[in-house]
Amino acid sequence: MELSEFKAGLDAWLDENESALAPPEGIEHLDQQMVRLSKVKAAVYDAGWMRWGWPEAVGGLGGSTLLRAYLGAALTERGLVEPGIYSMTEVLAPTMIDYADPALAAEMVPRLLRGDETWCQGFSEPDTGSNLGSLACRAVRGPDGWVVNGQKVWTSLAHYAQRCVLLTRTGTLESAHRGITAMFVDMDTPGITARPIESMHGHPEFAEVFFEDVVVPFERTLGQEGQGWSVAMDLLPFERSTALWHRAAFLHHRLQQVLDVAPDGALDPAKVGEVTQLLYAFRARSRGTQWRLHRGETLAAETSIDKVLVAAAEQAVFDLAEEALAEKIILEDDGPAERWRSEFLYSRAATIYGGSSEIQRNIIARRLLDLGNDR
Amino acid sequence: MDAEDLELFSRSIRHAAEAAGGSSGFDAGAFDASLADLGWHDAVADFPRESISTLFSIQGETNATSSALHRVVAWALTGSPSAPGAILPRLGSWQPPAREAGDQVQVNGLANTALVEAGEVTVPVATAGGANRSATVTVGDLQLSPVKGLDAGAALVRATGSVPGTDAKSNEGDWANAVRIGRLAVGHELVGASRGVLAQAREHALERIQFGQPIARFQAVRHKLAEILIAIETADALLDAAWLDGTDVTASMAKAAAGRAGRLAARNGQQVLAGIGFTEEHGVHRWIRRILLLDEVLGSSRTLTKDLGSNLLASRQLPPLLPL
Repeated sequence: MELSEFKAGLDAWLDENESALAPPEGIEHLDQQMVRLSKVKAAVYDAGWMRWGWPEAVGGLGGSTLLRAYLGAALTERGLVEPGIYSMTEVLAPTMIDYADPALAAEMVPRLLRGDETWCQGFSEPDTGSNLGSLACRAVRGPDGWVVNGQKVWTSLAHYAQRCVLLTRTGTLESAHRGITAMFVDMDTPGITARPIESMHGHPEFAEVFFEDVVVPFERTLGQEGQGWSVAMDLLPFERSTALWHRAAFLHHRLQQVLDVAPDGALDPAKVGEVTQLLYAFRARSRGTQWRLHRGETLAAETSIDKVLVAAAEQAVFDLAEEALAEKIILEDDGPAERWRSEFLYSRAATIYGGSSEIQRNIIARRLLDLGNDR
Repeated sequence: MDAEDLELFSRSIRHAAEAAGGSSGFDAGAFDASLADLGWHDAVADFPRESISTLFSIQGETNATSSALHRVVAWALTGSPSAPGAILPRLGSWQPPAREAGDQVQVNGLANTALVEAGEVTVPVATAGGANRSATVTVGDLQLSPVKGLDAGAALVRATGSVPGTDAKSNEGDWANAVRIGRLAVGHELVGASRGVLAQAREHALERIQFGQPIARFQAVRHKLAEILIAIETADALLDAAWLDGTDVTASMAKAAAGRAGRLAARNGQQVLAGIGFTEEHGVHRWIRRILLLDEVLGSSRTLTKDLGSNLLASRQLPPLLPL
């Protein structure tokens, strides 16, 4: 399947089917968003579009990763999915394909693609934010598998999830990044409690997750024991590639809406110009990344630049929205006002989640500028 | 041009730029001659993107000077690779540097020292009807005054005067295209110059010892350098997009981003280089001077950004997106 053929076919299919998949007028709460996300993914999977760009071994139809990039952007541009919750697939499915036992990947990945299941990513902990190598959620060998005890936090969608890609400490705490093991955990295993975190923007997307003597079969280990750091490091570039292309489509859509509704005289032309340049630059950068992925190149530290740019672009777009719609965002309570307000507030986190902009600058300094260690 | 040819081409240009430098300053005429020997002017017509991005990146990085921008603008304006180099608009402007006044053509623009030795120049002319054309003018008919100013190394020459319109050979001219291509060339030069500053600041940060360690260990310094690279990559991404989509608006965005990257490289780079970077001896000041000049050529980052925003607020429609 060539990209051009895919585009034409998908666009025609969406023209015909989007009205059945579109969100209702006004604000849509996260519970409803999750239900509709599953519905959209199932429809797109059953029509075949969602299977392109994924290997046949996991229920895909093969073809370039560009097809996935185009699909997510098309769904986002049409307002059918919210890219944050949609793009989790782009982060977790490649990890399963690369590190899970092939039979397990073949069984599980189609469920994620089709939206039958939601998965989450258990990385951060209360004492482990930017310093991932210090994580402490403990897994020890028991008679029936790993026995996990500890806590995760900021785990997106954990309270909706059926599975979790979990990082655990299997070595000593001093072994730092060498003593980490990744595993694929069923969220209905006894001993797991997921509690949503009420957050500033009003959608409880994040959760804290508690593990108390949770037994995980050894065959659910992702990669080898002690290889968890590699699993995490290979996963992060996916967080900064296809998923960010989808985010670019979302930001473009919202910036156009800012232009549509901004009252005359509300916006400073210089600022409008700068935000547009920033967004188009981010999109151009991400486009290059999509093509590198397509060519089979290994993505690494250079995707930190993509992450810095998306965060800057996102905050710039919503800063502009807040200037254009100050009264609406600050005082009004109708659906559109609530949505602008929620997205503006959520954009404050763009420079924090997924590796803060400061951490990305550290990576750029260390890996791209080769400035040596910082201590 | 395949990757191997491009690599060879790039190496030859870099070699020529280094050879034209020296203790007595940069010899723009010698660099121009080397570019002619290398067949760069013909390559521009056959492989515009590769030729322009390669030369101007290197020119910026090595702080070299040539008539290449004048040649590129003349080619884009007239479609002829052998057209004499063009007079550029006054600083900050992107209007043609000449206009019709009765039967005269009034010129007020910028040439450079190597260009005026050529005997003839291409003059972009705004006509009374609002169209544009180009005229070939004998250099001797213009008043020329060399500019020292902020960046004497750029070897600029102010060219003014009225020349008889009837004497000038006149052709159709696609001025918008000339501005677009010229902005891409200057954008690449700004990115190259920013990379030049970054390399010097990086080297200093690794060598300069304070508090018993290289200052490159300090996060404040690391982040300043990282920000330069981010700005450079931002501009580079837009330059790529502008070559791919061929639109005026993307080229303008790319030029603005490149100017902003240059100014950030100058500011952060100078801060990291600190005292030594403020000396005549160190030399980074030559890159900083060039960046400040280049940001103004064919529209500054500030004016292009404001111009874009005003257009968007008038049309209420974002520019077309480059497809995946």
